[in-house]
Amino acid sequence: MAKRTNAVILGGGVSKFGVRQAHLLDMIQEAAKACSDDIPALKPTDIDGLIVCTTLAGRHSNALNTAPLVVHRLGLRPTSICIRLDTLCAGSNSGIIVAKGLVESGISDIVLVTGAEKVYLPQRWETNYTQLMVNDHDWDSAMGLGVPPPFFAMIARMHMKRYGTTKEQMAHVSVANYNYGSTNPNAHFYPRTLTIEEALSARLIADPFTLFDCCPLSDGASAVIITSEERAKDLSDRPLVYIRGTGQHATHSMSAGWPGETPAEWPHLKKAAEVAYKNARVSPKDIDVAQVHDCFTISQIIEMEELGFCQKGEGGDYVASGAINIDGERPINTDGGLISCGHPFGASGARQSLELCKQLQGRAINQVKDPKIALAHNLSGASAQHTVVIYGTEPVE
Amino acid sequence: MADIQKAQIEGTPALDGRYISEMDMWPLECQEFNRNYQFYDNLREGRFTTTKCQKCGYIAFPPGVICPKCWSDDLEWVDLPQRARVVAFTETQAGAPIGFEPPLIMAWLDFGKDSPLKHLLGRIINCPEGKLKEGDEVKFVVFDVPAHPIEVKRETKICDRVYYAFEPVEKAA
Ligand SMILES: [Zn+2]
Repeated sequence: MAKRTNAVILGGGVSKFGVRQAHLLDMIQEAAKACSDDIPALKPTDIDGLIVCTTLAGRHSNALNTAPLVVHRLGLRPTSICIRLDTLCAGSNSGIIVAKGLVESGISDIVLVTGAEKVYLPQRWETNYTQLMVNDHDWDSAMGLGVPPPFFAMIARMHMKRYGTTKEQMAHVSVANYNYGSTNPNAHFYPRTLTIEEALSARLIADPFTLFDCCPLSDGASAVIITSEERAKDLSDRPLVYIRGTGQHATHSMSAGWPGETPAEWPHLKKAAEVAYKNARVSPKDIDVAQVHDCFTISQIIEMEELGFCQKGEGGDYVASGAINIDGERPINTDGGLISCGHPFGASGARQSLELCKQLQGRAINQVKDPKIALAHNLSGASAQHTVVIYGTEPVE
Repeated sequence: MADIQKAQIEGTPALDGRYISEMDMWPLECQEFNRNYQFYDNLREGRFTTTKCQKCGYIAFPPGVICPKCWSDDLEWVDLPQRARVVAFTETQAGAPIGFEPPLIMAWLDFGKDSPLKHLLGRIINCPEGKLKEGDEVKFVVFDVPAHPIEVKRETKICDRVYYAFEPVEKAA
């Protein structure tokens, strides 16, 4: 099918992230309300496509075919697509990739991509059972590799050994992200700020990680509108933000199939990024602001390398240089990232992409000066899959 | 029989047993649920095995019903090396999954360049906290894990289960 238009991200909304006294559908309604407030001209019945991105809805909310429930609660009448999508931590950025294809091919006109998770159950420890289901249950998880900290701690130790990365360099990531998040009222840890000393002296979770190296699990929901540039002009006067290019890559489901020489190398992210850069007709040096998957501080450090923002092995130096700060060469995770916002898996991607939309429209809270190109990245599970979406103020060509 | 059915419907010990949890930490290993049951039967004989493609020669891990390289279903069971070196590891201080006793030690294992299975993240057991070192040699070990009941033609059958991990070759003093 020939490309008929250019897809744009029009705006959106995010619920409060955190340990919420709320049902999954309550939070989706909150995110939709915030999305509606952001795009006042949009009527629910204008939306002809719905993509609901959630992983835990089935187990934690007893809601397996989730999309019709969302249709009912939001008063939608979708006619082109009405699906649930699960790519764990990358859920709603995957939804945005699908929505771009639907809009640009002419199948859909206005698509609501919503991501949501109710993580916490009446017994909070039961969440740790569920974590055994989101990786390769029968092989890795039965070894005890279900809860993320041990896996990423081992990656950190490997990166420290091979490239000389230090705990203090990792602390620069948590400090930057907590301080960005301290201005974001929807962040799980708003209005907490952090110093290097606090980060380094916090209690140990899994060596070398202290409490602040790890993002929390959170309840929460997000919603964004993906539509054509023509429809966007009808609905809003804001500058258009184009979805220029995307990439998504997976090579394995369990540790035995790891594609890198060691867990400190993530060639599958490098590949996903290469595809996205090629489709977006940009290179790493063009990225003015980015939202990357900082589930742990070491993740953000390795992502700086594999996304091409610095040389392999120099991610620690890069984050400690101040490059990621608001006055640095490439501000990263300007709304607080996963570390401060928290991580309701399916909701995180749209939360990231909405922040980039606001950055490119010049209306972010921590506004970067005049950005033109922005990048969102998620990893899923135990780094099984990587998702990259690149936005710009101009369309490709 | 009555005891088994009672065990099936009991809730978790928490919240006075009134809150039902349905999560299972282990694979459904038996023939009724799994065409790779041979892997677990081999574990019971102390063998660490997987499937090799008879058509292209590829040795996959985990085992499967087809070859992920050429999609042939002409496969045979072969043995994997049972010893590996610890390249890097981590010991979990907090938040180990329910059912895993601390210390939960995970290690990135190197099975050697001639092994069809190069690397694996493996659990290290029978090793006190603080004793494991990078470069240590570990060996494959099999242990029992909880059985589960299944209904077969209105009868309850108990499926025994085993799983595997790795332990230090030289026991810490
Ligand atoms: Zn084959």
